[in-house]
Amino acid sequence: MAGRGAGGGGRKTRNFATFRLFPRAGAADPNDRVFVRVDNNDYNVPGFADEDPFDSNFTADAADLHSFASGPLPEHVRREILELGLPDDGYNYLSHLRELRPAASAASSFVPNSTARPEPLPLDVKAYDASRVRVAPSADDLDEGKTMCKVAAKTAPLRRVQRALDPDVARLLDESDFSHGGSEDEGLEEDFVIMANQAEGDDEVEEEEEELGNGIFSDVEEEKEEEEFEDEPKPRVRRLLDEQFDLLALEEYGDSDDDDDDRGGRDGDYELPSEAIEELKLFCDQNGCVDEDYRTPADFVRGRLESTTADEVDESANVIQKCAEYAERYLNEPAEEKETVLVSESSDESEVWDCETIVSTYSNLDNHPGKIETPGNRRKRLPRVFPGETATTNDLIKLHGKEKLPVDYLPQRKRNGEKEKKVKPAEAFNAEKVKKEVHKETKEEKKARKAAVKEEKREARKAKKELKGLYKSETQKAQKVAAVTGPSSIRLM
Amino acid sequence: MAAAAVYGAGGAMKGGKLGMEGAVDMQLNRIRITLSSKNVKNLEKVCADLVKGAKAKELRVKGPVRIPTKVLHITTRKSPCGEGTNTWDRFEFRIHKRVIDLISSPEVVKQITSITIEPGVEVEVTIADV
Repeated sequence: MAGRGAGGGGRKTRNFATFRLFPRAGAADPNDRVFVRVDNNDYNVPGFADEDPFDSNFTADAADLHSFASGPLPEHVRREILELGLPDDGYNYLSHLRELRPAASAASSFVPNSTARPEPLPLDVKAYDASRVRVAPSADDLDEGKTMCKVAAKTAPLRRVQRALDPDVARLLDESDFSHGGSEDEGLEEDFVIMANQAEGDDEVEEEEEELGNGIFSDVEEEKEEEEFEDEPKPRVRRLLDEQFDLLALEEYGDSDDDDDDRGGRDGDYELPSEAIEELKLFCDQNGCVDEDYRTPADFVRGRLESTTADEVDESANVIQKCAEYAERYLNEPAEEKETVLVSESSDESEVWDCETIVSTYSNLDNHPGKIETPGNRRKRLPRVFPGETATTNDLIKLHGKEKLPVDYLPQRKRNGEKEKKVKPAEAFNAEKVKKEVHKETKEEKKARKAAVKEEKREARKAKKELKGLYKSETQKAQKVAAVTGPSSIRLM
Repeated sequence: MAAAAVYGAGGAMKGGKLGMEGAVDMQLNRIRITLSSKNVKNLEKVCADLVKGAKAKELRVKGPVRIPTKVLHITTRKSPCGEGTNTWDRFEFRIHKRVIDLISSPEVVKQITSITIEPGVEVEVTIADV
């Protein structure tokens, strides 16, 4: 009525505008929506959806851009693009920028990792924690060796190092994290959990140090024990037993850790124990040994070569003698030490069967013992004898051919025999005919002969085909059986 | 068109009332808000909020009209190949639609609709003459 203005032919005037809510392009908040017009009517709604979707893109930059459609981007735009690290190739990447989510959720998305261990060292760097080294207050007895040892004892290698931070800076950083927003952590005034976690990390470092310290340098031990009480509390006081255990553990299960320690210690003036050095010297003196003839201890005794290890040589020369002595002793001993061993025999009264004997521990569930039979040969099962067979006198079944068929027992052989018999008299008959009328019937004779030959051949072919078919079927059956029972390598067909 | 007819009828009816409420100076339009969604719960919530908001601003509201849900059926073979018993999956996709009519000025409507929206609910606003 009021709305229908147009006539019958045209469309009725459409006095309405349709808008849809779409999320704004490039907006961080999914709830940030604008109304977008979705129809093409002429109707104008002045108060609604004044912001076209394209308005939001018509920022100052974009306005400039459209005036510089083909030319280069304005300077400030280019600077901004470069600042962002995007390439300066004439395209305005700023149109693809997206707002970040509001800061209210930023605090929750950047949570400092409280369980992170300090960074592992790069491979070409070695770090040592020398915070426990005590510089001797008096400079009197500065025995280099001893000092070095003490230092080595207290120094422990580190695998991870925290970045060097000023404690003030670190404090500030921590504070700034917590000041943002109302995170739940703010309620926790005490950070005992964090402290506990850190304490664990320190303990690991401590243990490494102690293992090393208890190795060789006993003069340091006392100091060590003193220190322990000062440091973070251990579960209990270390006893001598603990140290011994550590020593043992070191010896048996020496880590690479300890090797590193040792090497680190030796980098200074650390010397091998004196015995080792002497041995090495001896070895150097005896260097000639390896090059020339092989020598036995007996050679030494007989004085063929000089040697400084006289003691050893003597001992080794006496080995044979010693062996002989031992042997004699061993022989003599049992003769001297014969003891009478009394063995009590069991009386008859106690010999009562108090339990049943077990024949087998296998249960009948799994084990099915067979019945013991008289050893008659029930296994010999000969195949049934086919009528008309001649080869049954042997007890052996012969298999012939590729298919390994028991040829004598196949059913078809009979027929061939009959056919042969049929053919033969026919042939004979023909032959007779031929002989009587040799002159006249050469053509006919020839024909007849040829016909006979043809017949024979035909019959032969037929027979062959039949036999072949028979063979094939038998082979198939045999293959089936072999497939189930025999090894898979048997191929009969 | 059917829509235009509805508008026309509504307009004729409300003309008198508008005269009585002459204090309101801004131009009023008939506004139809169509809400559609796959999710009934959210949809109903948004509808209720809208109606509540409109009533709070003392607008004339025609309460949420429930258009019959459209159900999209997709029936496919379960099997990726043709083998096996011929079992079929029956999927369906339900679209619920609600319509709310208001008479107010466009700005007010903008305010209302900006507050209440849930995710997954599509809002379409049609504005026509009174």
